[in-house]
Amino acid sequence: MPDLMAPSEFRLALEQAFSGTMAKDASFSRAWATGKLNKQHFVHWATNHYHYIGPFGDYLGLIYANTPDHARDAKDFLLQNMYEEELSDDRHTDLLIRFAEACGGTRAYVQDRSNAMPFTKGLQGWMYCVSGREHFVVASAALIVGLESQVPSIYRTQYPTLINKYGFSEWEAEFFDLHITSDEIHGERGYQIVLKYADTPQLQQRCLQFVREAADMRFAYTKALYETYVLPDLGAWVETEDRQPALVA
Amino acid sequence: MPRIYFKTAERCVEFAEGQEVNVLRMAIREDVDVPWQCASGNCGTDRLVVEEGVENLDPPRRRERARLGDLVDQGYRLACQTYTRGDVTFSWNPDQVGLDASDSDRRGVSDGSDGRDDRGDSDGSDDGDAARAPRSGWAGSG
Ligand code: FES
Repeated sequence: MPDLMAPSEFRLALEQAFSGTMAKDASFSRAWATGKLNKQHFVHWATNHYHYIGPFGDYLGLIYANTPDHARDAKDFLLQNMYEEELSDDRHTDLLIRFAEACGGTRAYVQDRSNAMPFTKGLQGWMYCVSGREHFVVASAALIVGLESQVPSIYRTQYPTLINKYGFSEWEAEFFDLHITSDEIHGERGYQIVLKYADTPQLQQRCLQFVREAADMRFAYTKALYETYVLPDLGAWVETEDRQPALVA
Repeated sequence: MPRIYFKTAERCVEFAEGQEVNVLRMAIREDVDVPWQCASGNCGTDRLVVEEGVENLDPPRRRERARLGDLVDQGYRLACQTYTRGDVTFSWNPDQVGLDASDSDRRGVSDGSDGRDDRGDSDGSDDGDAARAPRSGWAGSG
């Protein structure tokens, strides 16, 4: 077992744990950022995303219940995160549905579980499993560092494309704008909790393992979106070395 | 290396060349005492005066414009909504609290940009006030 890492070293290790499999680099994200998707693709994305992140309050609630009283700052952070997702402003899933409706989808379609990919249901199950069964600091590392902290990097690329290339209004695309910034802060506070409470080599290593796993899960989910919904229309995604997209039918 | 100078706290935070960083995130990461609450452009607690380096900031998006209203023209930005790619200096009132939601409620603000106001529908939804009410179902994240 490696030694206990200092906070700065551990932070770097956490960052490196997901840097190779960032969802922003997956085929669906790249097709999105380069203006290749259509509104039907976005409806499918919103539907699957609803079933992936919709229960985020549940996931956080499970972690909250597993967090001991002495880690009061961690409990408060989780509670605040839940409140911000659910009640402090527009409910975040309502913003997601607003976007789906702007693409021609309906609330009923998005909320219907049978319209989500099996992979999405698996991802949802993984989230419930990790948040309910892992040590609170490991679950926080997985969900907040591994997943939530990636969000700004994804949406900062996708949001300008939605406005400038796909022609959505800022209001229609508010889901993305909101998460660009709120998840910066959630991600940063998640790092602080993990750096503080992963106080044994075992916990640090398990956090790293689950951050890697989280990044892999999100990357594979994003890739599955492309293969399920976009591949039949656009063919396989090929990225040239200078990151100029090329489509191969 | 580019740096954010948090003048009121007398703290300087550096970041890597070529990066664009969120101002509030950097403040939290480095324990700089910038007041904040919601991190999503609602409360206005983290409004900062840009003293130098405005050219290095990304332009304010809808939520920030709506929350700050005229304060944008007076040189204010919300730390949680602002990204910088170069040197910048901010100051603020250490005792400041959130902007009163009633005087610039972002739901009702018409900032001349786009969005629900141009739909001819006061709340921009197609199901009226129901869209504002808490709904059953899931809440979501990113
Ligand atoms: S912290 Fe509330 S608007 Fe930025």
